[in-house]
Amino acid sequence: MSSSPRSGDDGAGLALDVSAGAAGGRAAAPVLRLAHRRLSWQDVVTAGASLAIPLALWWGLAAIVMHLRHVAFPAPGETALRLIELARGRLLNDATVYRHVADSLQRWALGFGLAVFVGVSSGLLLGWSRLLERLSMPTVTVLQLVPGLAWIPIAILLFGIGESATVFMIAVTALAPIVINTTAGVKGVDELFIRAARMMGANDRTLFARVLLPGSLPHLLSGLRVGFANGWRVLVAGEMIVGTGTGLGYSIIQSRWTLDYAGAFVCIAIICAIGLLVERGFLLPLERRTVERWGLARAG
Amino acid sequence: MIELHQASKTFANEETGHFVQALQDVDLTVGENEFVCLLGPSGCGKSTLLNLVAGFERPTSGRILFEGRPVRAAGPDRGVVFQDPTLFPWLTVAQNVDFGLRNLGLDAAERRRITDRFVSLVGLADFARSRPHQLSGGMKQRVQLARVLALDPRALLMDEPFGALDAQTRDRLQDELLGIWERDRKTVLFVTHNVEEAVYLADRVVVLAPAPDGITADVPISIPRPRNRYSEETREATMALIGVLADLPCCVLPSRRAGETPSRQPAITKPG
Repeated sequence: MSSSPRSGDDGAGLALDVSAGAAGGRAAAPVLRLAHRRLSWQDVVTAGASLAIPLALWWGLAAIVMHLRHVAFPAPGETALRLIELARGRLLNDATVYRHVADSLQRWALGFGLAVFVGVSSGLLLGWSRLLERLSMPTVTVLQLVPGLAWIPIAILLFGIGESATVFMIAVTALAPIVINTTAGVKGVDELFIRAARMMGANDRTLFARVLLPGSLPHLLSGLRVGFANGWRVLVAGEMIVGTGTGLGYSIIQSRWTLDYAGAFVCIAIICAIGLLVERGFLLPLERRTVERWGLARAG
Repeated sequence: MIELHQASKTFANEETGHFVQALQDVDLTVGENEFVCLLGPSGCGKSTLLNLVAGFERPTSGRILFEGRPVRAAGPDRGVVFQDPTLFPWLTVAQNVDFGLRNLGLDAAERRRITDRFVSLVGLADFARSRPHQLSGGMKQRVQLARVLALDPRALLMDEPFGALDAQTRDRLQDELLGIWERDRKTVLFVTHNVEEAVYLADRVVVLAPAPDGITADVPISIPRPRNRYSEETREATMALIGVLADLPCCVLPSRRAGETPSRQPAITKPG
């Protein structure tokens, strides 16, 4: 009874009759999941081209600038050489490139972690309570409108010059998009899900943790993306101005005095690479493991 | 078991500012272990009535009692099966069934045992680890049934649970439901706009007309069980009910018989 795949009739293929429950047996085992797609040569070529195009543009730009303005605009090759040099341990502004990367990452992780914690929990509350949302959303919107660099004087006044100021700037700029998107996500959770959960005896905590949080995840992920990008950008800016002594952003701004433009370009390349790595290695897999596996549409 | 005393519900339309009277002064009593079908055209307040009993909405006036106590909030003693699939897409079939059991504070082994039992009961043991989006409409409704039955509710409140299914699947699920009801003896309040479904399932069919008319007929169905969908007496009872419905301001026509395309949307004749 379970062999022929008949369309439009879900009943026939399964052992539906309660009494005959076991009759359909293993033949109707779920085979609905799509097999993983193999990497084809087209995928490889496309991926290669997507890297080659910006490199070619960069190289072209460097050649034109050098020809017209007669300044040493670092080309990809020169930058690569400098990268190898630095990777071997040559100091850049009194510290290894590893130290700069590690310090920047640590600041970012602290600030972003803080923003995620505060942003997601307040977003859940704002999405739940209409009153809280109306009270707080104007503030959040204003937060979002303040340009990242405008926080510099505030950060300095609050924390003085140093680590805390940078971490504060990352957190505060990453916060708003996370709050706004989490709120929208919670408000978008189908009322029927909430009713079903209540009907099954869910208390407030269960409702938040097992219904509202996963239900708002498509939006929440968009918020994390924007928040991550904001925080990463302001990290570099924050290090440039709130003198921290190390970090990728600090190194870039120092190249003004040392004239080590190739070194600055290495830092820019590392910043791009880390950004890409977080998106591809963390956010995208997270989305695949959750939203896409649940059959929910990706939020725009 | 379930009592409505002069229950009224008014909704305010936020856009137009108009008030819509969904129910007006409805009295209804459903006895212990009774299978009552609530029949009526779309927009007559059937779902509203069910939502009041479920505790999803509060009556504007009047009283709703469940086992003698006023209904204040939704709870696992009144298991609701919705028409729309409301399974949590982030949980597997088994986890969806387990959701309510966790709230009861049972230990893991006990929960596991109950989950397995009810997932098998609805014939989905092979799909226990699938996600809702991988299931067909009929399978989703089975999971909905399993997750409320697992909580051993005193009453089942069903809001057109088979309304969106094809005729064949609907018939099978009706039979499964009757099997469960006859074995476990639960009170069932079943909303439908399908006359044949009401006659086949119910001890009593309550016909609801749009407010202010409210309940216009309360028809006992005395056909002995197990019933035959195609027998003469089923047919007669169906025709009698259609006669009652025909007198309503707008009425439901019976869906066509198996073999033909089932009419999902009931044909509604409405003056103007």
